[in-house]
This record gives sequence, C-alpha cells and structure tokens, in this order.
Amino acid sequence: MSREREVSREMQNAFVDGQLDAADWTALVERMGGDESLRRQLCELRTLKDMVKGAYADARPSRAPTAADRRGWARVAGLALVFALAGWLVHGATDRGQAAAELRGVSAGGIVVHVASSRGEVVNTALQEVEDYLRDARAAGRKVKVEIVANQTGMDILRSDTSAYAKRLERLHAAYPNLTFSACNQTADRLREKGVAVKLLPGVHFAPTALDEIVKRMQQGWVYIRA
Amino acid sequence: MRGLFGVSAQFRARVEAQREPLYRLAYSWCRDAALADDVAQEAMLRALDRGAQLADEKRLKAWLCAILANCLKDHYRRARPLEPLDEDMPAQGETPEAASASGQLAARVRAEIGRLPLGQCQVVTLVDLEGFSYAEVGEILELPIGTVMSRLCRAREALRARLIEFAAGQENKLRSIR
Repeated sequence: MSREREVSREMQNAFVDGQLDAADWTALVERMGGDESLRRQLCELRTLKDMVKGAYADARPSRAPTAADRRGWARVAGLALVFALAGWLVHGATDRGQAAAELRGVSAGGIVVHVASSRGEVVNTALQEVEDYLRDARAAGRKVKVEIVANQTGMDILRSDTSAYAKRLERLHAAYPNLTFSACNQTADRLREKGVAVKLLPGVHFAPTALDEIVKRMQQGWVYIRA
Repeated sequence: MRGLFGVSAQFRARVEAQREPLYRLAYSWCRDAALADDVAQEAMLRALDRGAQLADEKRLKAWLCAILANCLKDHYRRARPLEPLDEDMPAQGETPEAASASGQLAARVRAEIGRLPLGQCQVVTLVDLEGFSYAEVGEILELPIGTVMSRLCRAREALRARLIEFAAGQENKLRSIR
C-alpha cells in the first residue's frame, strides 16, 4: 500500500473516539479487513485510550465532600451575597465606590475576605478596603466581624518569613479586634512537602482548607468577598 | 459586582456532583494532588459565582471544565508572572523513570501523560477520561477543531511510543509469574 493511501493518524484517532460520520466509519471498517497494519495501529490506539482512562480510576479528591459540606453548598447561595473584590480593582473608582457603599449597607454578621494572591495591587486593595470598611462600621456603631482567609500565594502575607505586610496586619489587628486571619492548611501542607517550615504571624490561625473556612462562614450568614 | 442570587439548589447540587471529575482532570493536568484540589475547588466557587452565565445547563460539565482550564492557567500565570504561559510546557510530577521503577502501569501512564505539553495533555484527558467530543474539547479550550485533532494526534503518538512496549513488557511479566 502506498503512503498516500494510508489512513491518516487523525482518521484513526477519530475512529477509536467515535468521531467519524457513518460513511467514513464504514469505509474504514471495510479497509481494516485487508490491512493488518491498520488493524494493529487501531488496536494500539484503543489500548492507549483504555490505559489513559484506567490510570486515573483511583484519582479522588483528598477530602471527599461530607454531609456537612453538602449542606454547606446547598446553603451558600441562599444565605450570602458574594462580592468579587476583583471588580474593585478592574472596574475603576466608580465601581469601587459603589461596591464599598453596598458593602456598608450589608447587615450580615461578618465578612470573609478571600486572598489567593500575593500580588501587591490585590493585597493592598483588599487591606485598604477592609480597613475603610472596619472604620466606617465602627463609626456607625455596627458590630461586624471580618476574617481574612488566605491560600495559594496569598498565604505569603500571613507567614512571618515572607509577609511584606506584617506590621500593617499587626496594626490592623490591634486597632480592630473583630478582624481575624486564617491560613489554609492545605497550602501549608504543600509548602511543608517542599521542605518549607511554615510559620504564621502572631494571631493567625490555620483553617483545614480555605474553601472549608469560606463555606463555614457563609453558612453562618457571612458575606464572601474575593480579592 | 456579581452575586449568587438566582442559582438554584439543583444547580448547586449538579456543580457539587462534578467535584470528582474536576479533580481528576486537574490532577492529570498538573500532577499535584494538593494543587488539583485547590484548582477544582476554585473552579466550583467560580461556577457558583457565575451560574447565571450558563445558558444551557446541559452544557454544565463542559462549562465547568472550561472554568477549570482557566483556573489552572491563572495559577500558572500567578506562579510564573514573568513568563508567558506556554501550552507546550510539560506538566510536572513523578518522572517516568521513577514510575517505571515502581513497576506500576497506572503510575507509568500518569507520568507519561505528565510529560506531555500541557495543551496536548488537556486534549487527550478531556477525550479519554471524560469522553468529550472533539467539538466540545474545542469549546472548552477555545481551540479550532483542527488544533484539537492535531494535538490529540501528537499526544497519542508520544504515548504510543513510550507506553505500548512497556505495557507489553508488563503483560509478559505477568505471564511468566503465572
């Protein structure tokens, strides 16, 4: 058989993936009858496909969702507003003002601010908005709690060896006892596996995972803000 | 500002039901169990946040996978802000040599998939693990269908070259033990 008449690899893949139309499928099946090489190639592709599927048969999240998680997910949307703090960054001053104004109108028991990045503009905006909010709440006599939950690279801000915001956070915490900080233990585990000794700033606590902490707070009726 | 209002309990349950496939895909793409957990959780949070944007709930799984791909892309951009995102970069994880030493076919297959460029790895796992059509993969990864087919072709060529003999060797070992 000349190379020009060989069935292309793309066609062979499409065959084993069930992506050929009826006419092409029939033509290829007819061709297989007299072409041992083609049969072998298709058999290898089929084997590969099965191997890929089988290789991840046991891959499961480290922590399967519990009944409590399921209740949590079910209640998330019903109980809480979700604000995207990223909007404060990209929508300009008007939206930032509008977002902050709407936040001030929230009568929730608390606000959980999720910081997943250590980028300066993200962290600075988040801390500035939190401080403005806490100041306004105090002036208005509103009792509200704020928790900053950090994971991924955002956890750098809560680590004593990496934080560029240690003094600022200490000052904020001293001024506002209703402001707390939680670090994601899952992110910490990943750092520990790389040999990093994770030390947190004073007053910072570990949460099992950032998602767990956020869902827990939202179940309690808190507002979620994503920095 | 976006809210979660209007997202039904049924929708939330359907998002939650996809946690395992999302994790499996993320793990196959990044080869890091903790990161896969993070990225899958992030994708679910984003999905709940943007639920109103999904016009056709029949497309939920593909939509979630597209969010997942973007979450991983965002992670790599954050982790390597000065480097352009390179879909030809290999995924990370256990080396094939180490996997071979363990003698486990599944571990070796995962390691070889991890050696593929990310773009090829995503295509082959979306097709083989989750059974998406080429057109759906194109939508998920925002690629023309021709690119999906060529990436799949290159991925399987690489896997065939590295795995078919290994798999045959494993089978022969089993026969000799019997």
